[in-house]
Amino acid sequence: MGANIYRNKKPALAFLLPAFLFMVVFLYYPFFKNILNSFMHLKQLGASATEFNTPWYTNYEEMLHDPNVWTSVKNTIIMMLVTLIGQVGIAIILALMVDNIGRGKQFFRTVFFFPIVISATALGLMFNLIFLRDKGMVNQILEILGKQNLTDWKAEGIALITMMAPVMWQYVGFYFVILVTGLNNISDELYEAARIDGATALQRVRYISVPLLHNVICTCSVLAVTGALKVFDLPWVMFPKGMPLKSTFLTGTYMYYQTMETKNVDYGAALAVLIVVLGVILAKVVNAIFREKDY
Amino acid sequence: MKKRIIAAMLTGAMVLSMTACGNSGDAGSTASTGGDTGAAAPEAEAPAADAGQEEAAPAADAAGPVELVVTTTFAGEDSNAQNYKDAVKGWEAETGNTVVDTSATADETFKTRVATDFETGSEPDVLFFFNGADSNSFIEAGKVVSIDEIRAEYPDYASNMNEDLITASLVDDKKYAVPANGYWEAMFVNTEVLEAAGVAMPGADYTMDQFKADCEKIKAAGYAPIAAALGNIPHYWWEFAIFNNQSPANHLEIPESAADEGGQSWVAGMNDIKELYELGYFPENTLSATDDETFAMFTEGKAAFLIDGSWKVGGIVSSCQSDPNDPATLDTAKLDKFDVTYVPGKGSRKATDLVGGLSSGYFITRKAWDDPAKRAAAVSFVEYLTSDEMVPKFAQHGASALKNAPEVDASEFNSLQIKAMNMMAGTTSLTGAVQDLFAGDCRVSTFDGMPEIVTGRVAAEDAVAEGLEAYHNQ
Repeated sequence: MGANIYRNKKPALAFLLPAFLFMVVFLYYPFFKNILNSFMHLKQLGASATEFNTPWYTNYEEMLHDPNVWTSVKNTIIMMLVTLIGQVGIAIILALMVDNIGRGKQFFRTVFFFPIVISATALGLMFNLIFLRDKGMVNQILEILGKQNLTDWKAEGIALITMMAPVMWQYVGFYFVILVTGLNNISDELYEAARIDGATALQRVRYISVPLLHNVICTCSVLAVTGALKVFDLPWVMFPKGMPLKSTFLTGTYMYYQTMETKNVDYGAALAVLIVVLGVILAKVVNAIFREKDY
Repeated sequence: MKKRIIAAMLTGAMVLSMTACGNSGDAGSTASTGGDTGAAAPEAEAPAADAGQEEAAPAADAAGPVELVVTTTFAGEDSNAQNYKDAVKGWEAETGNTVVDTSATADETFKTRVATDFETGSEPDVLFFFNGADSNSFIEAGKVVSIDEIRAEYPDYASNMNEDLITASLVDDKKYAVPANGYWEAMFVNTEVLEAAGVAMPGADYTMDQFKADCEKIKAAGYAPIAAALGNIPHYWWEFAIFNNQSPANHLEIPESAADEGGQSWVAGMNDIKELYELGYFPENTLSATDDETFAMFTEGKAAFLIDGSWKVGGIVSSCQSDPNDPATLDTAKLDKFDVTYVPGKGSRKATDLVGGLSSGYFITRKAWDDPAKRAAAVSFVEYLTSDEMVPKFAQHGASALKNAPEVDASEFNSLQIKAMNMMAGTTSLTGAVQDLFAGDCRVSTFDGMPEIVTGRVAAEDAVAEGLEAYHNQ
């Protein structure tokens, strides 16, 4: 009789119901409502849409001709690549280096992880000061080193780099901690055996650490790519309204701009749908590329 | 079986706890309502002695503190931010009521927030907001109460105001907002930069040609002539550039199209800004800088001219204080280096024809009016903030709508405020801002699109045409 409780799934369903209802009310209903709104005429946030656009697919047609959409999609894809190479790549190098030191591992884990706990908005404001044209930290250092003219780090040509560098920097520690944990799970006996067989430190990394980290790296890569789609606050604080000349829009910031700044709410809803579609496609692609292996 | 019972009990407990959570909110709100039902501002003026109105004004019979949610634009660098805080404290001390202040700097995000609050039913009780097109949506929805409706119960409401100066709504021509203080837009000057560049302080007959000649000298001396972030806040230049191609008589007329006479004056205004940009009179990073950055250039003596509103006086004064929150730390010698004058004129607009008026006022929302606990308190709050004693403190160097404005004691003002009052004394006309009528997404092509216009990526004609089309489709 006692074991029957594990066969009967009804109590578990009762426990799942509140969470399910929560998801329905706060995720799935707004999600489907948003899809509907993208076909409606809606120019005020919070207002009820009363009529369909004419034709109903107007916003999607407009998207095809909107250069800012293409800019934001292009920038988002660049952001993904930067995230993948900059965040996961640097995190792998840092993790391997920290794993090979004798003392201070905990210290480095804390130091590298610390930016994660700081609000992205606060970081955005801080980097605004760092990259300020007049009296910014970077320009002051360059001035000390003898540079004559002030550099506008937010100018059109380099704005994207200025925006992506802090985003990259902020999340390196997150992947670093995941990778260090992955490295800790590799048995010391493997390294010991390799050492006895005469493997150098580099060979131990190449033939033991990296292959056994494969699945962790895959997980980090999927997280990094999907996370890049959601980046919003730091770029918006540093480059509001896609400044300069709307060249720094990401899909998220452009959707916010259309909804909150221009009050083009239905178009913002259509952009949100685009983000979801983009997210699903990219997640599939990334999952196909970074498929986990069974050992 | 035992485990099944435990599981069932846990489920029940969970459901009960959730229900309790839901109920607790209700209970709280019920209790609060109950408490508030009997609450009213003890100081609230008695409603009209009309038997028919007794039911409508139960607040006057009640006692106990009321909590009012108030949103204003008296925040951030607004020169009245401190005056407002002091006034709120004064009203709270006098009445025993409390104010939940949700004020914020007046920008597009703030306007969106207010509009969304109204749409979602979370609007404040009292609102100090723009009385132009920005308030159309909530007036159309009947979410604020007209002054006439309030006067039916409180006959003395806003009776100290000059009726002609209370702006009527664009929606139904009714008056909703009680004005407190007026505003003006003019040109602030950093005289230290002018001296270094050998440029004389502009006067009342300043023309655009003289302005360009001065800018050339300032630029040659190594300074930025104009402090403006065209990629962030082009609003002031937008307004005056259009005004310079019109006259006070027709500035508030929105053109039918970019091709007609009015539309062409807008196009010419955009092209004037483009010309100044191409001449290099704006800061090098004008397209990528924020307004705060270019304002800092002005206060730190790296730029000469700044077109902005009367509210910027407070920001300039703060920049001259070692502690921005402590007026006692004001460096008066530093403040004396700043001046304010007229925006250079052109064509039919004289330099002394300024943009200004009474574009904001206190609204009482329908939600507060229909709440018996809050009605009297809301009226009391607005009357306190718009009293004959309070308005001059807010109006300072600007205009007010008071019938009997008291004499201003100049000794209470700093040097920049006195210069502003002198400048205002020479004004030949004060015209409202056309952008207050041209609100919403119609602005996007020429406001957010200003960088594209000045860099030549979008023709001024196309940008104006797009904006006007959006306006007429609203």
